[in-house]
Amino acid sequence: MDFDFAFALKIVPRVLEGVGNTILVAVLSFFGATLLGFFWEMLRRSHKVVRPVTQFAIDAIRSTPALVQIYFLFFVLPYYGIVLPALFVGVFGLSFYYSGYISEVFKAGIDAIPAGQSEAALSLGLGRFDTVLFVVAPQMLRNIAAPLGSYSIGILKSTPLLAVIAVPEMLGSALDVASDTYRYAEPMFVAGVLFLILALIAALLVAVLERRLGVLSTSH
Amino acid sequence: MSFIEIVLGILQGAGVTAEVTLLGLLYAVPFALVAGVLQHFSTGTSRWTITIVIEFWRSTSVLVLLYAFYYSLPAFGIELSAVSVGAMVLGMNAGAYASQSVRAALQSLDRGQCEAGLALGLDRLTVLRMIELPQALRNMIPTFVNEAIQLIKGTALVSLITLTDMTFRAKQIAQLSYDPVGIYSGLLLCYLIICYPVSLLGRYLDRSAGKAGGRINGF
Repeated sequence: MDFDFAFALKIVPRVLEGVGNTILVAVLSFFGATLLGFFWEMLRRSHKVVRPVTQFAIDAIRSTPALVQIYFLFFVLPYYGIVLPALFVGVFGLSFYYSGYISEVFKAGIDAIPAGQSEAALSLGLGRFDTVLFVVAPQMLRNIAAPLGSYSIGILKSTPLLAVIAVPEMLGSALDVASDTYRYAEPMFVAGVLFLILALIAALLVAVLERRLGVLSTSH
Repeated sequence: MSFIEIVLGILQGAGVTAEVTLLGLLYAVPFALVAGVLQHFSTGTSRWTITIVIEFWRSTSVLVLLYAFYYSLPAFGIELSAVSVGAMVLGMNAGAYASQSVRAALQSLDRGQCEAGLALGLDRLTVLRMIELPQALRNMIPTFVNEAIQLIKGTALVSLITLTDMTFRAKQIAQLSYDPVGIYSGLLLCYLIICYPVSLLGRYLDRSAGKAGGRINGF
């Protein structure tokens, strides 16, 4: 079977139908992963008994494939009677997987702040909560912006995983075209090119955003 | 099926997982070293070329690349087996990420190291081989270990291009008996058993690399 460029061009609009969901899933997962990652990190810092347990949980999240975690959620939740739309399961799966990595970003971001900062705040009479909110968090934001930016692109590149649980995102639309027409070569090629373009645009946006915010860029 | 039987059934796919991982490393390590060194040295057009190659492998989604290579290449007359496609895509992706740590490690070396070598009459390649790379290697190792974990986890994706790895075995077992909790917990456990020790090793190397680096730079 030869590669049919005319056919490939013709199916671009149909594959692009999924791009909205791809972006939606990526954005939701990014916020979910950031919140959950922050939660892990606060848990890890909370108490010396909780600490090793949380550490192991984070390592376990990081030691198993995203695909398997998504399968787990998708097949195990209904077993307990929790039936959610595939899109939610997918967003939750990606959030969960990336939260393990993002908790490390928060850890590094907080560790980089000199201990004297929070000591000074506490000795000035600020409460623990105020210390975190007004002294530690603003300084931390500058440290975490760049790595968070690269994880946001990572999440975007992981969204095609959700095609396996039938979330109608871009790879899903390409697979639909393939099963309608019995031709796989062109839809998969189109999906590859479109995802490459999408990831490059996202990388450019993140770079612009980082420059605007005056973030010290990582070489990553 | 008992949980033990499920885990043993899943582990029948461990061979394919290991095969794709090892073949992937054969792509990843040389590509990371060569691309990282070339990106460090070259200038102008050749630097652009090598950067485009690295960015291509870094910027696309691995799953989409797997599908695109597996289904589209035959239409261009290139027939590759699923194992070859899996190992190449996963390996080159991990290698492209690791190449950035090779370049960063080379760039972070003190310029004096290279200058001293050149002043002693060594040619540029000897300086690279005998002075720069051995020092840079220590800083790269933690990243290489982390990328190796990413590669092992990435092999779960080859189940989607028909390879019978651990994930594929789990899906097969899921068709035989309805026990999603047992099967998918077992599958998570199998990956955890393989990857967790590697990630502990990575953290240990990270820490010891930090210490050794401090000693060298501090004299």
